[in-house]
Amino acid sequence: MRRRLLKAVALPGYQVPYASRELPIARGWGTGGLQVTLSLVGPCDCIKVIDQGADDSVNAANLRRFIARMTGVETTTDALQATLIQSRHRIPEERLREGQILVLQVPSPEPLLPVQPDLAKAREMHADADYALMWLSLYEQLVQYGTFTTGAEYPVLVHGRYLMSPSPIPRWDTPMLHQAAHVTLLAAGREKRLYAVPPYTDVYPLEFEDVHFRVESQQGRVCYQTGARHKLMNELPQPDGQVRYQLSDSGYATKLWQHQQGDTVTIGATYYDDAGNFYHRGYLKPDTDPA
Amino acid sequence: MQSVPIDARERRFQAVFSAMLAAFSYPGRLQAPWPAATPCIDACTAIADVLIDLETSFYTPDAELHQRLIRTGARVKPPEQADYQFYPLLSEANLPALQAAPVGSYLYPDHAATLVIGCLFAAGLTLRLQGPGIQSTIEQPIDQLPAAFWTLRTQVIQYPRGWDVFLLDGSRLLGLPRTTHAEIL
Repeated sequence: MRRRLLKAVALPGYQVPYASRELPIARGWGTGGLQVTLSLVGPCDCIKVIDQGADDSVNAANLRRFIARMTGVETTTDALQATLIQSRHRIPEERLREGQILVLQVPSPEPLLPVQPDLAKAREMHADADYALMWLSLYEQLVQYGTFTTGAEYPVLVHGRYLMSPSPIPRWDTPMLHQAAHVTLLAAGREKRLYAVPPYTDVYPLEFEDVHFRVESQQGRVCYQTGARHKLMNELPQPDGQVRYQLSDSGYATKLWQHQQGDTVTIGATYYDDAGNFYHRGYLKPDTDPA
Repeated sequence: MQSVPIDARERRFQAVFSAMLAAFSYPGRLQAPWPAATPCIDACTAIADVLIDLETSFYTPDAELHQRLIRTGARVKPPEQADYQFYPLLSEANLPALQAAPVGSYLYPDHAATLVIGCLFAAGLTLRLQGPGIQSTIEQPIDQLPAAFWTLRTQVIQYPRGWDVFLLDGSRLLGLPRTTHAEIL
């Protein structure tokens, strides 16, 4: 695993095969991420585990307890304190810094699978950097629906070479991988593939010159607990048919709430500011009307 | 909560591996996984302990290091086939071996060799490094490597094919994955 991780970092976005080992957890429940975390973690680490942004979901709590029990490592819910963050489907709202490692659990590592179900042929397409079918698929989405319909797992081009599935993170999180200060390691235990995005690496979503990649709009959504805006929200349907919104990143929400109660907490700079602007100016291009 | 005890050996491996991962993640930044003034051959052995085992192959022209590495159970292979290659002291005479080292294929670029090479991080040539893991550029002086090594590296790397390099001296480690562009100033 350690050897393969080094290869993955040396080849940004390339899927490195590895011998996914048996674990006391079923495949599909984060075994890829867990193997990466266990191969990395050291006595000085502090670990955070999240599932869909939440530290307290069953999957996250069990993985965190397992890792702590196996290694004796400290745990936290604060993204700033953690040296190692294992996550399913989210990147924390606070900007990660140099030296931090984000491990993403990946159910389906092959971005070409929707257009090329034969994995041997998909590998050849990666070798040739032949991504025409994926471009065609996006074009068909535009023709048929007038917009990109790919939600989470939006395909990105890493270091100008390899097409990569950024795991099923929402489109909101995809830009966070671009020129990030931290290293991101992605592992699929069932598919036995791992890949990486080193720090300060170009990660661009596929988009056309006149039709741009867009993140999920959070316009008008206010967290009912913290009053936060322009962060990714969970939608909570109410019995009366109304909808309430809650910050998806529970660790960040807890800190905001503690801050409002007068507690001393350090809240880091976020990828999106309170007006919804992404911190790499110009990365998210303004909407254009395809018509 | 009772945790599984991690012995001193595994702690040492973990520390060296963390430094190696950091070296590849942030190329051009010196990592210090060993005490200062560790003999280069011991530093090579520490890296070999992390990298090689029964499933891998290695090559080294250094007789003493060869004896140490053979104890890991890894297979000895010629430079054109070995996965991991160790050169505590790289001379002009070793360059043909480097030229023959596996660079992977377009289908499997991960089948390329990883080279571990001794040098000095002082004086000598100054390199300007650029690429993933480097925010803009880094300048790093490196000595005790033949100048032809850098020409050869440029020729060999045709991304995504090419070998990855760990440079080390007695106390520090530097990563040069194939994505790093090195220019001699």
